[in-house]
Amino acid sequence: MLHNKVYPFYFTLGTIILYMVFFVIPAVMGLGYAFTDWSRYSSDMNYVGLENYRILISSENNYIHYARNTFLFTLNTIVLKTILGLAFALLLHNGVKHLRSLYRMIIFLPAVLPMVVVGIIFHSVLNPRRGLLNELLRMVGLGAWTQQWLTDPKLALLSIIGVDTWKGAGYIMVILLAGLQTIPAEYYEAAQIDGANALARLRHITIPLLRPALIVATVLNILYGLKIFDTVYVLTNGGPGYSTEVLYTAIFKEFSKGRYGVGTALSSLLFFVMVFIGYFVIRLMEQGRTHD
Amino acid sequence: MKKIAFVLIALFAILSVVSPALDSGSRADARQATTITYLASQDWIRQGELDLAAKFEEETGIHVDYQIIPSDQYFNVLQTKLNTGEGPDIFGGQSGKTDLVVNYDITKNAVDLSDEEWVTRQDPLVTEQVTVDGKVWGMTLWDTSASWVIVYNKDIFAGLGLSVPTTYDEFKAVCQTIKDSGVTPIYEPISDGWHHVLWFPELGPRYEEVTPGLATDLNANEVEFADDPTMLTVLQQLKEMYDLGFFGEFAMSDAYADGPEFMANGEYAMTVRQTAFVNLVESEFDVPASTFGFFVMPLADNQILNVNPAGPSKFIYSGSEHIEEAKEYLSFLARPENLQYNLDNTPEFASINFTGVTPKYSEEEKAFFDAYADKRGTVYQTAVNYLNPQWMEIGQDLSAMFIGDIEPIEVLQHIDQRRADMAQAASDAGWAK
Repeated sequence: MLHNKVYPFYFTLGTIILYMVFFVIPAVMGLGYAFTDWSRYSSDMNYVGLENYRILISSENNYIHYARNTFLFTLNTIVLKTILGLAFALLLHNGVKHLRSLYRMIIFLPAVLPMVVVGIIFHSVLNPRRGLLNELLRMVGLGAWTQQWLTDPKLALLSIIGVDTWKGAGYIMVILLAGLQTIPAEYYEAAQIDGANALARLRHITIPLLRPALIVATVLNILYGLKIFDTVYVLTNGGPGYSTEVLYTAIFKEFSKGRYGVGTALSSLLFFVMVFIGYFVIRLMEQGRTHD
Repeated sequence: MKKIAFVLIALFAILSVVSPALDSGSRADARQATTITYLASQDWIRQGELDLAAKFEEETGIHVDYQIIPSDQYFNVLQTKLNTGEGPDIFGGQSGKTDLVVNYDITKNAVDLSDEEWVTRQDPLVTEQVTVDGKVWGMTLWDTSASWVIVYNKDIFAGLGLSVPTTYDEFKAVCQTIKDSGVTPIYEPISDGWHHVLWFPELGPRYEEVTPGLATDLNANEVEFADDPTMLTVLQQLKEMYDLGFFGEFAMSDAYADGPEFMANGEYAMTVRQTAFVNLVESEFDVPASTFGFFVMPLADNQILNVNPAGPSKFIYSGSEHIEEAKEYLSFLARPENLQYNLDNTPEFASINFTGVTPKYSEEEKAFFDAYADKRGTVYQTAVNYLNPQWMEIGQDLSAMFIGDIEPIEVLQHIDQRRADMAQAASDAGWAK
């Protein structure tokens, strides 16, 4: 009886074919193109072996520097978003008593805004001449603290990290909040009776039981961080000079320069890095589950 | 949802592949009524020209179908049509020898127009930029006289007792005096990424003056940018001006669009703009155009006017079935009375690149251009191959130079590297290994 309820395999063919045509085949072709000198300027394409990869790691191009920026961005946003997201989640879970939904909505709101809109807003907020932030600092007598937020090479990447954290912390908060709500209140009551203070309860109950949610949040943050493009593109476009360039803005620029071969090589490389990281993180999650 | 999206994407993909074919079908029908199609980017066609197309139809019965494409997509659309052999009868393109060869494969895609009557009336410098292998391939119809020069506030100069500088040292002294008086010397919007690049290739005439034949040698790959001392001097001087604060505290975040405002309110004394800029300041901010004067960029002691004879041009597609009609239309556009009509009805133009028209310059502009009548030369983004396509990358390099990440010589080395990349991709004989 049960066998009759299983739909035949060919029902899935439509999806599989479309998926193959639009995702799998182009992806595999992309891997192949990474070994050619494919460019806008010439109609013939030649096999060049690992030349494109040599360009990526050579010192005359800045890719090592871009990778470093991408890594810095990812690391910092993971730490900041997780700490802030956890703090907000804890506050809204049992700290704040009134208007909780309103606060949750306000904190989540930036995550809903399109990055282009956020970019335009912060571009004007962080404008050194007339931006809201510097005007505010001048108004309260902290004129000496005003900065060229997006155009000082020492600060620009930090500003980008700040804006991205502002936008992304609410999203992480929602994930952690959902995790918090699954922790039974009895544990806290028992701990309180045993004399555990707030810090001890956080360390010994909340964090361990929140681990699955924290792992999910971290995986999302890692993949998001490594793929970062829009925030950088709309805020600084890699500038001033090359000081905030990340891997995906570099890929974008290679393509717009018509150097398709190098562009595909770089994105293939990043694809493998992400598969590699993703594999280990998922393994880690599975491990956590079997222990439970 | 995903499936619907898939289907939509698939449909879109199929349509975009099929649509050129559909297009050619409708063109076949229209042929009986003699229609010539003209594919162009949106900023290239002005009302004056569209009026003339209507007059042309009245006179000859040939309809000119203008197919205007948004500028960011134009190049892709045109390439697709040319590569599939479905080109329009006339297509627009930016002139300049490199662009014609590298981007348009012009000797294959266009019709030789060398024997047309109007060629002799077109500005020879402009004609040179549509000439490849000794043949003229296109007609430029544009105000190619608009040079990028330094626009300065005459009141500020007079108030400080300054006169127009003719050498870099004088220029530096002028900037310092202005800065000391509390006014920022130069409005230089770096945030746009392209404007601050002008200081470098626009000084081409000076590089050529110091080293005659430099452009030719660069194009033959006999010398490199990094070998040229004048170019290095210009970059070092540019860096010095940035370091001395002549571009102001906020140059990195300043925007091109705010230029008129800061020049009008007197916060800045100078900026690099085309001469028509002063009319913009007058109409937007009620500051009389006569407040401003012009002088050429004096880096490396330059005293030659930079001219860019390249501009949007019209080419007849070699696969067209209406080559004669298309030639007739170009001849019509080039009649003296029609050129004048075009100029008079195009507010953006002060002149047009043909002899026999009366330009619309103000007294100030006229005096300025007259002063440099015998001292002008072609800018390097047009005179030198593989330079114009890397404009934005040069901008990024210059910003990196300003903040001290790279040295001026590295900017030149990067330009050489990118030129070599492009030249090799285009199988340029000069770069053959």
